[in-house]
Amino acid sequence: MTKAFEFNDVVKTYKDFKLGPLNFSLEPGIVLGYIGPNGSGKTTTMHCLTGLVRADKGEMKVFGKLNSLHHPEWKLDIGYVGDVHAFYERWTGEKNLTFLSRFYPSWSKQRALELARRFQLPLDKNVRDLSSGNRVKLSLVGALAHSPRLLILDEPTAGLDPVVRSEVLDVLFEILESGERAIFYSTHILSDISRLADELVFLHEGQVFQRTAKDDLLDQWRKISFRYSGEDMEVETAVSKIREGNDFQVISYDFSKTIEQLRKIGAENIKDTRMTIDEIAVQILKNNRE
Amino acid sequence: MLLNLTDLSDESLQSQIVRQIRAHILAGDLKASDSLPSIRSLAREQKVSVITVQRAYETLIHEGIIHSRRGKGFFVSRLQESEKDRIAKDKLYTNIKRPLNTAVSEGLKAEDIHTIVDKILSNDKHD
Repeated sequence: MTKAFEFNDVVKTYKDFKLGPLNFSLEPGIVLGYIGPNGSGKTTTMHCLTGLVRADKGEMKVFGKLNSLHHPEWKLDIGYVGDVHAFYERWTGEKNLTFLSRFYPSWSKQRALELARRFQLPLDKNVRDLSSGNRVKLSLVGALAHSPRLLILDEPTAGLDPVVRSEVLDVLFEILESGERAIFYSTHILSDISRLADELVFLHEGQVFQRTAKDDLLDQWRKISFRYSGEDMEVETAVSKIREGNDFQVISYDFSKTIEQLRKIGAENIKDTRMTIDEIAVQILKNNRE
Repeated sequence: MLLNLTDLSDESLQSQIVRQIRAHILAGDLKASDSLPSIRSLAREQKVSVITVQRAYETLIHEGIIHSRRGKGFFVSRLQESEKDRIAKDKLYTNIKRPLNTAVSEGLKAEDIHTIVDKILSNDKHD
């Protein structure tokens, strides 16, 4: 199957920061969460992929088409929402959308109006008079009205109220149903995509260090408490350990292994609790840093 | 097919889907050869990721409760009464094992546990 996008050895260097080499891809029908602390290179990655900045090295393809300066057709398959938007401040939202529509043969005015209504976005106001939340909504409408096959969303729900945020997520779930579209979604608010994302890629200081199916993380990570009166010991597959007298609490990234070990050494009163995807992501990022 | 999924549970969304579909089938709400929603439409309906539904369906296929027909989707399998019985018993066994072990580790005796089980079965409230 043609990949929605692929990175081959993509590198972008700034004075004091290097992103990559990036080597990963995304299949159609999949939602990939892109997770990393501020300054880890999420936005730069997305700017490279959308052509907003030029990578120094490497190759990028969108649905099989090379991301090339001279042949911009690959851009037609992309819908992007992020920190950069090219709206004219003195024009209304509607006029901006009409202008944008000329670049996209597959643009649907009806779809644009429907989305604006669902996001409660007034189209008759000048962009300069729109709140930051309404600007994000306008970006979303602009990114979705041509029904692109690849959505690149850089913190798209920042600044949206909960009702609109949930409407945005509804729209994303609808978009996915056909199985032909893919979403590349960067965020540090994991709860926003805790249900939507299929896989998560973790980024730290410009390097991708882990890619895992979200459900695998949820299955394998646990907080485990137990009682143990022997000598202090190393708990396998645990990332943290707290001890209070003979009571222990550990966080494990492979809880069945941990529990097996605890049973073997004769720990008592073993209890495990599931963790949210936020809690797990924090642990992954924290432990990578250390 | 109505499912009640919640994030406020110690059970993963995936296993909530498995358990609730299984319950619909064992209770006869869904009958042999009834069709199930496609993976993608269930994902959209329930607002969960595609992989979550895919894995839930794989579990049900593995248990022999549903099957897939290429290009046609997923269907409820024909189960003998004896099989339903076995599946329900297996399920009860896995579900009850951990809380029972906990109860024993907290000092309850087998007879205490029997009393509590009887109470639950006769719908009495726990005092």
